This record gives sequence, C-alpha cells and structure tokens, in this order.
Amino acid sequence: MTILRTDVVTRVSRATRVAMATDLRRLVTTGDVLDATTDIEVYGYDASFLTQLKPVVPDLAVIARSEADVIAVMRYAHEHRIPVTPRGAASGCGAGCVALRGGIVLALNAMNRVIEIDGPNGQAICEPGVVHARLNELVAQSGLIFPPDPGSSRMATVGGMASTNAHGVRAVKYGPTSSWVLGLTVVLPNGDVIETGSVGSRAKQSASGLELTKLFVGAEGTLGVITRLRLKLLPRPKARAMVFAVFDVLERAGEAVQAVYRSGISPSAIEILDSRSLRAANLYRPDLGLREAEALLLFEVDGNPAGVRWDAEQIAETVRPLAVEVDWSDQEPRIAKLWEARSVVGAAVGALRPGSTRAYAGEDICVPLSRIPETLRGIQELSVKYDVPVATYGHIGGGSLHPAILVNGRDPDDVRRVIALTDAIHHLALDLGGTVTGEHGVGAARAPYMTREHGAALETMRQIKRALDPHGIMNPATIFPEDVPPTPALDASLVTGGT
Amino acid sequence: MGSRMTRTGDAMAESLVAPRQVTGSGDMHVVLRYTIPGRASSDLRDDDAGIALPSGAQALLEAEYENMLACVRCGLCLTSCPTYVLTGNENEGPRGRIALVRALTEGRIPLTDELLTHEDNCLACDACTDVCPAGVHMGPIQVALRAAAEPAVRRPVWVRALRTMVFDWLFPSMPRFRFLVWLVWIYQVSGIRAVLRASGFLRLIGMSDADDLLPPFVPDFLIASGQTYPPEGDGSDGAETVDLFAGCVMSTALASVDHATVRVLQRSGCAVSCPSGQGCCGALHAHSGDRAGAVSLAQSTIASFEVGGDRPVIVNSGGCGAMLKEYGHLLADDLDWASRAKRFSSRVMDASEFLATRTLPVMHPIGAGSVRVTYQDACHLSHAQKITSQPRELLRRVPGLELTEMAERSLCCGSAGVYNVTHPETARELGSRKAESIIATGAEVVVTANPGCYLQLRARLQATGSKTEVRHIMELLDEATAPVIAR
Repeated sequence: MTILRTDVVTRVSRATRVAMATDLRRLVTTGDVLDATTDIEVYGYDASFLTQLKPVVPDLAVIARSEADVIAVMRYAHEHRIPVTPRGAASGCGAGCVALRGGIVLALNAMNRVIEIDGPNGQAICEPGVVHARLNELVAQSGLIFPPDPGSSRMATVGGMASTNAHGVRAVKYGPTSSWVLGLTVVLPNGDVIETGSVGSRAKQSASGLELTKLFVGAEGTLGVITRLRLKLLPRPKARAMVFAVFDVLERAGEAVQAVYRSGISPSAIEILDSRSLRAANLYRPDLGLREAEALLLFEVDGNPAGVRWDAEQIAETVRPLAVEVDWSDQEPRIAKLWEARSVVGAAVGALRPGSTRAYAGEDICVPLSRIPETLRGIQELSVKYDVPVATYGHIGGGSLHPAILVNGRDPDDVRRVIALTDAIHHLALDLGGTVTGEHGVGAARAPYMTREHGAALETMRQIKRALDPHGIMNPATIFPEDVPPTPALDASLVTGGT
Repeated sequence: MGSRMTRTGDAMAESLVAPRQVTGSGDMHVVLRYTIPGRASSDLRDDDAGIALPSGAQALLEAEYENMLACVRCGLCLTSCPTYVLTGNENEGPRGRIALVRALTEGRIPLTDELLTHEDNCLACDACTDVCPAGVHMGPIQVALRAAAEPAVRRPVWVRALRTMVFDWLFPSMPRFRFLVWLVWIYQVSGIRAVLRASGFLRLIGMSDADDLLPPFVPDFLIASGQTYPPEGDGSDGAETVDLFAGCVMSTALASVDHATVRVLQRSGCAVSCPSGQGCCGALHAHSGDRAGAVSLAQSTIASFEVGGDRPVIVNSGGCGAMLKEYGHLLADDLDWASRAKRFSSRVMDASEFLATRTLPVMHPIGAGSVRVTYQDACHLSHAQKITSQPRELLRRVPGLELTEMAERSLCCGSAGVYNVTHPETARELGSRKAESIIATGAEVVVTANPGCYLQLRARLQATGSKTEVRHIMELLDEATAPVIAR
C-alpha cells in the first residue's frame, strides 16, 4: 500500500503558538480558538489539488462568531504582525483560504445569520458565513432571488463568493457576484471597521465616491475581512425552461451558441458537458440516461411561462440543424434533475477511472466565445500529450470552462504529469486571449500567472494592497506572485512509499 | 517584474526547492516569522504527544485508505452534517473527520483526545455519504477508526464495565435482553419510575434524558422461534413466504410494531416466517468500536436465516436494515463468510421497500376526516439505504391522509443508535430542532420507520408539550389495512 506522506508544517515555535492561543482566548469573546495539532490540521486545505497534496496547516484557527471576534483578531494580528487568512466554506479551488505564510486562519462560516430580508427594497443584509443555497431558500419566501448561482451553491458562503467574485451558471445573463453587492462592512487589517456603499444606506444605486465595494469584492481577503454584506435581490422569475442539445461534432456546439445569440435570445445559462463529463454524469445518475456524444449543451431560459416556452422552442429550432438530438422541457423536476447532474459532475468525474480522483487544478480558465471549440480541442490534445484524462464542462455562454483533471494521487509520475498539464492549460487560455480564472479566483494556485496576465496593472494592484495592508498580514501569498509560498506547492516528490 | 515571466511549471519547480528570495517590488511582504515574547513554558499544553496507535490499528485504517482518498474536499457534505451545522467547526464535519483520519493513517498527526472526541461526536447518520458526489462511504471509515482506536480509548472503569455488560453479555442473548426489558416494564408499572422522577433522583444522576426515552409498553414480546404466520388476503400477488428479522428492541420494547408488521405482511398475501436463533444485528457494536462483537452477531444472524434460502428478509427498523445490508462489506475479507454474507445482504429489504411492490387490501382512513401526517426520514433508511419514496408512496395510499413535508427533512433527529444516551446535549438540541420542524407542519401524526427515531421524537415532542402523535409506519398501515370488523 502506498501512503501519501508529507511533513508536519510547523512555522512558529510551540511556545509562540500556545502564547497566541492563550492571548486570543482572552480576546475572542464569542468564538473558538483552536490550537491542538489535530484541530488545526483541518484548516489546512480547501478543494484545491495543491492542498490535497500537501495541507498547509496554520499555527492556529479562530472560529469567529461575531464582528467583535474579527476585530479582536485583527487588532492582535496587527500588533504582532501575524498573518491572517479569512476562510468561508473552504470550497474554493485555488488554495486562497489557507495560511500560506502561517499564522491564523480566521473561519467565518459560523457567522451565518441572515440579519434582514428587506423585501420592499429588494435587499438582504447578512453575515459572510451564510450558505448561498440557504439565502436563496429564505429570499424565495419573499418572491425574490439572489441571482449569482455557483455550482457549489450548497456549500459556498456568500462571504466567500464576494471575496472571490464568484460567477456561476447564470452570470451569462445576471453578471458576477460583484453586480449584486451593494455594500460591505469590512474590518481592515489594523482592526478598524468601515462600511462601503454609503453608511446605513439602503439605496439600490449609487454614484457616490470611489467604488470601494468592488475593490473588496474579488480581493480574496488580501485587503480586509468582510463581516457583513448588503446584497441586491431580484424578483424571482416565474418560470424557466431548458433546452438540451446533443452534438456529435464539438465545433457545432460552439456554432450553436453563436447562432442562439444571433437569434436575439439571452439565455439565463448555457452549459456544456463534453463526452467524458457526460459519461461521469451518467455514472452518477444512471437514471438521467444522457446520450453520450462529443458534447451536450444545456440552455436555460427564465421569465414568464409563455415567454420561456417561446424562447425554448426558438432555441431548439435554431440549434436543430447543428445537433443530433434536441429536446426541451419546462417541467421543473426534469430541469432540476439536469441541473443536479451538472452541479455534481465536477466531483463525480472521479468515477471515470477507478483509483483516481478529481484534481482541482487548472479548472477555471475563461476564453473568448469565438475560441471555445479551439480551446476544447486544445485541452483534449494536451490530455493525450500528458496522458492524463480530462473531462471538460463549463459555462460556455460566458466562455468559462472547467477542465476536470483526473489524478492518481499516489503515483508520483501521474502527479508530475498533472502539474505540467495544469500549467499548459493555463498558458493555453492566456495564449488564446483568455484568463487563468474566470470565476473561482486566483488564490495561491494561479498567483504565478498574474505577472503575465496583468503586466503593469499588477503593480497598481500592489500599491493598493500596500496602502491598505502596510504590514502584509492579510492573506499573504494570495494573488501576488512574488509571494508564492516557500512551502512546496505542487510537489511530486511528496508522494512516497512502496506498493 | 519581467524577469519573473518564466513558464510557471519552472517557477513551481523552483519553489519546491527552497524559499524564494523575494526581490524587486515584492518587498512588501515582510511577514515570514513572528514571535510572541515573554511567555513561560508552563503555558505549554502537552497535548501533542498523542496516544500510541494500538497494534493492528494501522491495518484497519489502511483498509479504508482508498475510500478516504476519494474525498476531493469539495465541501458539499458540510451542510448535511448535524454536528457541523450545530458547531460550525470543520473538525465536527465529514470533510474534517475524513481529513483527520487520513492524516492519522499517513502518520502526519498523532491519535489525540481531540481527534477521538470529534470522531465520537459523529452520529453516524450517513447524511454525508448520501450527498457525496465523489463516492466516499463514511460508515466503513468510521467503523474502522472506532475499532482501531478502541483499545487506546481511556474510559472510566465503570464505563468499561458497562460496555462489556451491554455489548458482550446483554445484546448477544435475546433471553437476557427480554429479561432486561421485562425489568424495565416492572420499573414502569410498579411506581418506582414515578417515585424516582418525582424525587429528582434521575436528574441528579444525569439519567433523566435517557429515562424520557422509555416508551410505555406491555411485554407482549414477539419471540422468533421458527414459527410461520399464514398469508391472508385475496392472494392476487401470489403467495410468497418472507422471513422476518424481528430485532432486539423491536421484538421487545416495541413488540407492538413487530406484531403490526406481521399482520400487514400477512394481509399483503405473505406467509411470515420467524427463523429461530436470530437476535441483535450488531449495529450498536459496529458504531461503538466493537467490530469483533459486530462480526460475531453478523455471523449468527446470517446462519439463522440460511434456512430461508433466497427468501426476502424483511426488517422494520431502518438502523438494523442498514447494518444487515452492510454485512457483505463487513465480512468481505473473511474467506469463510464473504459469500454467505453477500448473499444474505442481498436478501434484506426494508418493510416499506417490500410492501411498496405489493398490493395491500383496501385501505381505510385512519381517522375521522382528513389527517395531516408528516414523514420523518430515518437516517439509516434514507441516507444509508436510499429509501425515501416507498414509505411516502405507501402513506399516500391511505385515504384521507394528507402527507406534508417538514423543513430540514434530511437532518438527523439526534437519536442515532445510543447517541441520545451517550451525547444527551447534542441529541436534545437536534431533537428539539426536529420537533420544531414537525410542529411547524401542523401535522397531527409524525411517522417514522426506525425505533431510535420513534423514541427520540416521542421524548422531544413531549418535552415541548406537543400533542403530535408518533407512529411507526407499520402501526399506521396495520390500522389502515385492518378488517373493518376488528377496528
């Protein structure tokens, strides 16, 4: 049996760790301070392949249960220059919520109160740990919806979504999380508290002052800690319908998307599953009985009952000449089932090769719509070149693709090839005029590409970071490339042992 | 800046070797190490040494290592987990528990009291397994860890003695079990209970929660001694003989449910055989670290049912059913038993799973006018056995029964085997939460299919003063299918 062995990461002396815990237990009044070796172990990962290979264990973890806890932690960290890494559900894929430079992981998932649903003003005020699906269940009772909809809806927290500017399947029509955040309460690195989007405001629009809300959204906890969000809501669409179209030639799926846009319809989601993803979906949900071909497209339209039927028929007619099978449904159980298969396909691809699991690496590229077929072919060629199975799915309507790499984490050679393949996929996206992260965020995993992707703009970002966080204690090594962790990142040599 | 524009694969390879020298405009990140000065070493807690891993533990853990590695840490399980929902602590969620046991298996962390506590707090409700898209099976990991750690677990002498008595002496013998239940009956009807309750003695010794769970019953035990109950009804489905797994609690303290099950099966046209030699399924042993005890009970159960050939084995307790279906996995490495266990497990069906395929005689309403009913999914029926639609379908067949769903329907009620005795506080919190969800539906009756849930719901609903009646699905179907003359 080969066992994956890694070293225990100890960054500071035990005396320091215990001293910090003792101090913080006094200062943190409602939350919990964890310092036992076993307790902090589980704050060393997110869903990334990077931390799957090697957890980056913090010196301690604090489960905050109030804004006062967050302020106390930040004041203390500021005084002693201790790195602090905010963390939501740790469902991210970029190692953006682990303590890459040691220090404190500040868990915000237990700050999960929905403070107010302001129906008349179409807003929700909540704490960062509220899980996306729960928020939408609650606002649905008022006939409202918080439109951003990540595949990870059942685990992602709204704080994490804001911090990574998550997009999700409906971003193609409704835009990213940043479009739906009206204001934030932020604890700055020195412990001071600010409210962005005008203090005490319930305005739905504002042209007042520098747009600080958008600065903190997507900052991945490098500028401060979000402790409260004022979110914009929409009236919930009355109906939706879904068109599913099967293609035996990949390129025709790309053409179909263009054709639908030309027909003047704006679907609320357009998703693609390639042949391997279809296989995985069928393995997870045999009852779906999806036809396995080169690609499946799912077009969702929402609005009023008559409108969605018209839209769905129109889309079906438009793509029919290109597809081998087209059908549509406005039956909610059928739609929900297809969405469920889509939402779990990411993790379910592990079933494609026994002994392998999904490696969340290189999983979030975004390319121009016109280059999607080229990108999909490119990924397939790289998959052959590196001899690593890759299933690709994603929000084709926005150009966002999720290559799902399979890895046998106990085979050092496999791990090495996955590392090289990941790098090649990232460069493929950049070569084609895209980005290394369409919606998941940079974290540490994609920090090395920031220089190539942003050029001189990166220096401007750094100046902003420096102004707000002069001591560099907020989530260091995330986003900014000079700060790639000194700990082995993707290290094939970590895998040892005989068979 | 430009100098860093290398291919990233190279950059990564570089970073593997040594800490990168921070150069150029990257001088902002100055924090690498920090110290909190002026602390005495007496502040040190000696919790890191851990407990030595008992011999044989490593092999038990490694047998489930593949299963642990399947976890991709997506976090989908978190909100399904009762203890994570209550605490918000990653250590108290499925992903954290798997990470801990994996790190333990890899030798990266020691076995500590904290780790054991987090593991022990798990209700083994299997909700995480149910939602996991990567195919992790939590049950076997947990059975392995509890069995691996058990020799090292520090327990007070009296607890050890109690465990030995319960696991080695009481559960393996149905006559002893029946004797104990009979004593409980005496305790209830003699007035001793009333005196102890009124005096506050139970509260004083911390047993009041456990006492609240005791149901009122008559000792009309169903003793499985090889008897067969003949079929009734019109025989439209064809006569079939089924074997009944009577259970330990079900055939004694809740014997009325077993009797009801037999009657409903008879009315569905089945002959019901009760093979002798059967007893407890061993689920409590498996979930309490006594793997050997579980294996021994599994073997005697399998042997006693082999007389029935390939007949369906019908069970009316979700918890026992899940265990019986798990025998194939439990004994997979035992050369003498693997195929026998697999064959037995393939015969096991929950009563609702079986009855959903049968025609039941004309159903009567269970009350005057319409009765609002909500169904509580027992974790080991819904999560472990994936049986959720069949009981609901059976309930919908009852005229005048209005089925309504409760909020958080997949969240555990806190019963979880003996969890409500070993972890009364968490169990009470979960039970009260469940009671609130039930009351919010306005249902007059809550139906379940597991003895633990049945007792827990009764206790928690009573504590809130609710009049909602708790019934096992077989009791309700018994009433609905009873010949009119007998009603």
